[in-house]
Amino acid sequence: PVVQPGIGNNIIVNPCQRGNPVLECIKGSGKEFGDILSDYQVGRTTGVLYLRLHPEYIHQRIERLGTAFNLRILLVLCDVSEHQDSIRELTKICLINNITVIVAWTLEEAGFYLSTFKQFEHKPPTLIKERVDKDYESMMRTALTSINKVNKTDVEILRTSIGSFADIARTPADRLMQLPGFGQVKVKRIKDAFEKPFRGAG
Amino acid sequence: MSTLLAFHKAILEKIHDPSTSELLLIARGLGLRRLLCKLLQIYDSPQNLIILVNASSEEAAAIGEELGVLGCRKPGLRLVDFESSRRDRQDLYKKGGLISVTSQIFIVDMLTGDIPTHLITGILLLHAEKVNPTSPEAFIARLYREKNKTGFLKAFTDQPEHITSGLSPLRVIMKELQLRTVHVYPRFHQEVSETLGRDRAVLQFSVDMTEYMFEIHVAIVQCMSTTLTELKRSNTQLDLDDLKVENAYFKSFDAIVRRQLDSVWHKVGPKTKQLVSDLSTLRRLLTLLLTEDAFSFQLYLESLIEANTKNEAGNARQNQSPWMMTEAANVIFQYAKRRCYTIDQKARAAPPLPQVADENEDEWDAIRELEGGASGQRSEWPEGVQPVLEELPKWSIVAEALQEIEEEMMRRETKLTARDPGSNTVLIMTSSIRSAQLLREFLGQIDPSAEKGAQGRKLMEENMRSYLARQAMKKAMQNRTLTNSSGALTPSTNGKPSEVSEALKRKDREREARIASRRRIRGGAPAAASTRSTGAAETLLSAISQQDEAIIAALPEMMFDMFDPAALLTLDADFDTEYGMLAPEQTVIVRAYSDDSDDTVLSEIQPRYVIMYEPNLEFTRRLEVYKRSMPGLGVRVYLMLYNNSCEEAKYLTDVRREKDAFERLIKERGSMLMPILDERRPADSGDNLIRTISTRMAGGRKDVTAEPTRVIVDMREFRSSLPSLLHNAGILVVPATLTVGDYVLTPDMCVERKSIPDLVSSFNSGRLYTQCEMMSAHYKHPILLIEWEENKSFSLEAVQEIKSYAKSSNKYQKKKPNAMETTAMSTYNIQAKLVLLTLTFPRVRIIWSSSPYATTAMFSDLKAHNFEPDAAKAIAVGAEEDGEGGPGTNHVAEELLRTLPGVSAQGVRHIMNKVGSVREFCELSRKEMQEILGVEPGKTCYEFVHRGERRAPAKK
Repeated sequence: PVVQPGIGNNIIVNPCQRGNPVLECIKGSGKEFGDILSDYQVGRTTGVLYLRLHPEYIHQRIERLGTAFNLRILLVLCDVSEHQDSIRELTKICLINNITVIVAWTLEEAGFYLSTFKQFEHKPPTLIKERVDKDYESMMRTALTSINKVNKTDVEILRTSIGSFADIARTPADRLMQLPGFGQVKVKRIKDAFEKPFRGAG
Repeated sequence: MSTLLAFHKAILEKIHDPSTSELLLIARGLGLRRLLCKLLQIYDSPQNLIILVNASSEEAAAIGEELGVLGCRKPGLRLVDFESSRRDRQDLYKKGGLISVTSQIFIVDMLTGDIPTHLITGILLLHAEKVNPTSPEAFIARLYREKNKTGFLKAFTDQPEHITSGLSPLRVIMKELQLRTVHVYPRFHQEVSETLGRDRAVLQFSVDMTEYMFEIHVAIVQCMSTTLTELKRSNTQLDLDDLKVENAYFKSFDAIVRRQLDSVWHKVGPKTKQLVSDLSTLRRLLTLLLTEDAFSFQLYLESLIEANTKNEAGNARQNQSPWMMTEAANVIFQYAKRRCYTIDQKARAAPPLPQVADENEDEWDAIRELEGGASGQRSEWPEGVQPVLEELPKWSIVAEALQEIEEEMMRRETKLTARDPGSNTVLIMTSSIRSAQLLREFLGQIDPSAEKGAQGRKLMEENMRSYLARQAMKKAMQNRTLTNSSGALTPSTNGKPSEVSEALKRKDREREARIASRRRIRGGAPAAASTRSTGAAETLLSAISQQDEAIIAALPEMMFDMFDPAALLTLDADFDTEYGMLAPEQTVIVRAYSDDSDDTVLSEIQPRYVIMYEPNLEFTRRLEVYKRSMPGLGVRVYLMLYNNSCEEAKYLTDVRREKDAFERLIKERGSMLMPILDERRPADSGDNLIRTISTRMAGGRKDVTAEPTRVIVDMREFRSSLPSLLHNAGILVVPATLTVGDYVLTPDMCVERKSIPDLVSSFNSGRLYTQCEMMSAHYKHPILLIEWEENKSFSLEAVQEIKSYAKSSNKYQKKKPNAMETTAMSTYNIQAKLVLLTLTFPRVRIIWSSSPYATTAMFSDLKAHNFEPDAAKAIAVGAEEDGEGGPGTNHVAEELLRTLPGVSAQGVRHIMNKVGSVREFCELSRKEMQEILGVEPGKTCYEFVHRGERRAPAKK
């Protein structure tokens, strides 16, 4: 009497996952048990296998998966310090079988991944596509702190004592040197970023 | 030119032989540059190809100059950096001689065969202290020895303190550079101390800090120890021995803490991270206190508060630095302001708040007298502002010393003949260019007749004016922001009256925070609070800050125009260049301590009088060498030192640390097991060959060409250590300029490598999206490699933050699913984005690699049973007619462009093709920008770049 998988807003959980502590950590989307190929089905075309770093067991699961699902995820809970070999092994297997590995370090994180996969099922990729429009000050901060050695205090000083981005661009080095906390190295970095040509002769 | 002392000659004797390779460790200040130039001079010849690696561009320029003085002019030392094209480089290498090249370019050129590696006569490698198994230097040594067994490799370092990695750090360096000999020359080396003797006669001036400075100094140190205690308490696994306040004076302290915490960095909360960064802020404050004038210090503090009370979005920050909440911090802020000015009528209206003010009353009177009842002048300041204008105590000491030197000169005048060497120039050395500048300004405007502590009054008044003007400007800017934004927003968006400017709101918040912090202190430390009527004091303090506001607001617009700080601060900074024109007898040169070029300065100017404005270990050594090489000059050295300050402790610790480092290294050298340098098997060794063949068989192919396994690597990737490790694993590394991906493993497998900070930033900028799009379009197996650093915690950092959050929001008591959800969303930011990425690009695989070593292993796995990639094809993929990338690109500038609003990945390329530099880009008109970027983005970008412009912007 296992329920056939529905296509609602719930994550479908394979009964074999009963008792997995990660279930406790799935927040923000509902869960229901159902007869599915993967351990979790988090979307019409997305299936997740769950693993706690024991690669031996995963082979048969992958085999059972066949070619089902468009996006096949292997969610690995990495809570041991000797992880390198296991992850190496898994990476190889998964690449061959068209599976994407996601590593989580805590149960909460794993739960978060599961629920987010479900929640984002129909989400357009705008979040990662464009820069989110922010206010002037933080844009200025992001821009200037991209130069090594420049911190937010420095940005504040530059902004209040020099002015706009273009003003900063044309400020000579010795003037920058007079600002508190601006040493040779920092000023050189700033000048390199603004004034050195983008490309060499070739 | 500077002469070589006996020990210099001895060292040269040992190392000059071009058939030996070795490492030279020498104490700083003993003249490493001198030795290096001498060596280069010996080797200079068109028949030789000598490569100088790892010199910064300044160092290379200085070495070139010195070589010119030594007589190696045509062609002398040539510099190769990203600005020289590939063809130029090839020509240069062919002609031979002395060439300085950056390590990244050198590696690429060796790999591509642009440089005839087997013909290199030798390599001189600076900064050997940076060598470790993953560093580019190690890669260079390996590539070099692969093809060239006879050339020499001589490595140099004068930073023994930095050789600390691992259990036997010296051995690591020797092994990586494949060296067997090491020469160690500390100051206490027999030959060195015999030559230099024990003549350390220095006239030391000890100065007391002013009362305010002392209070601030004590308070900062107190903040530091509080922060340290806090740090220890929250991280019990820290090794407590190293964490002492005197160690915290050093920059390397951050590294110590980081190293101890690295393996658990993902487990430490944001609080600990805050504490670690607080320590470096405090350390900076300490130096600024002793070197900056009162106004700059005040300005820095204000900016610090500004930057710390707001978060990225401009709201009040959640995690404030704990030290800012302490009473000691309050002392810092209060006294720092009081060093500049006080607010008059408030001070009178209130009960006598600080005892310090009482004691200073007579000083005040003196100041008022000094002004000579010039009420006209007083009215220059806004109503109620009483300038204090405390000067740095060292200023008057310098004046005194100069006075004494003048007398001394007169006395000596009679004995000197014209043929005696040396000049009467006085050389003053300071710790930074900034403090040199300040001292110059002071000396330029000194009022010798004034009493001690008021000689620089003119300068301080000027500083005060520019300070006030700056405040006014800030105000004006905030007002402008307000009018701008209110024009766009409908005023009825929230219940609050929109007239309250954002600036005022923020000020309110700040004030609230300040008051709140004061309250907390009162609760927490009743003993401290009970000394005076706190209620009154509190209202007074908040009143003061209100008063400030009022004063700034009251500054007339006219004043704002008058004191344009830009105009005020462009004082004659090029004093340095002028000294040649002045009669040397009257010159005083103020310089900042720098590297070995100080030696050149000494030997060129030949001063008889040197003032060390701040103690400096290296320079003391330089003076010793200088005195010894100029016998009979009678050099007089003055040293200025603040009593009971961190300066003294810093100097002493410096000496001790260097000595310890040398002793440790000498001990290690004594007991070191000499690394057996195994002859590296060439890349196409048997093991790999067999695998390649079997691959072909499995693929059912017959042509068994012995093709070595290879990976095509983007030029830009040579800044990371992965190519080096791949090479070490026997994989052939082929450098190329790739448009799509960073590594091409097989004909249809392409990898984009991201370190964690890279990952975060390229998610934010949307670059990763474009890159995955490109990879998916061109390759069958697009792969995203997320790579951690060796020994760093292997986890996504944000993970931790949710825990601290959960605690504070009492997760287990009340259940607010929505709140939890958003919290989780914001803390698991990267994870959420990764989910979205995999959903968008289901074909993109992710490799999670804990270190470049792990990556190397996985790459080999993935390459097994697959065909080798073709470089020409990989380059052609997705490439457009585009300029050269790779080492020919200014990455910092590229990165900076990318962060500008309105500039897409495409835009960056367009800009780089059309405009020369970021600065030129900023000068473009709105129209030109729109032509490059498109109408909307161009507008956005133009507005960003020119917002808050001080000068009249170009007419649209």
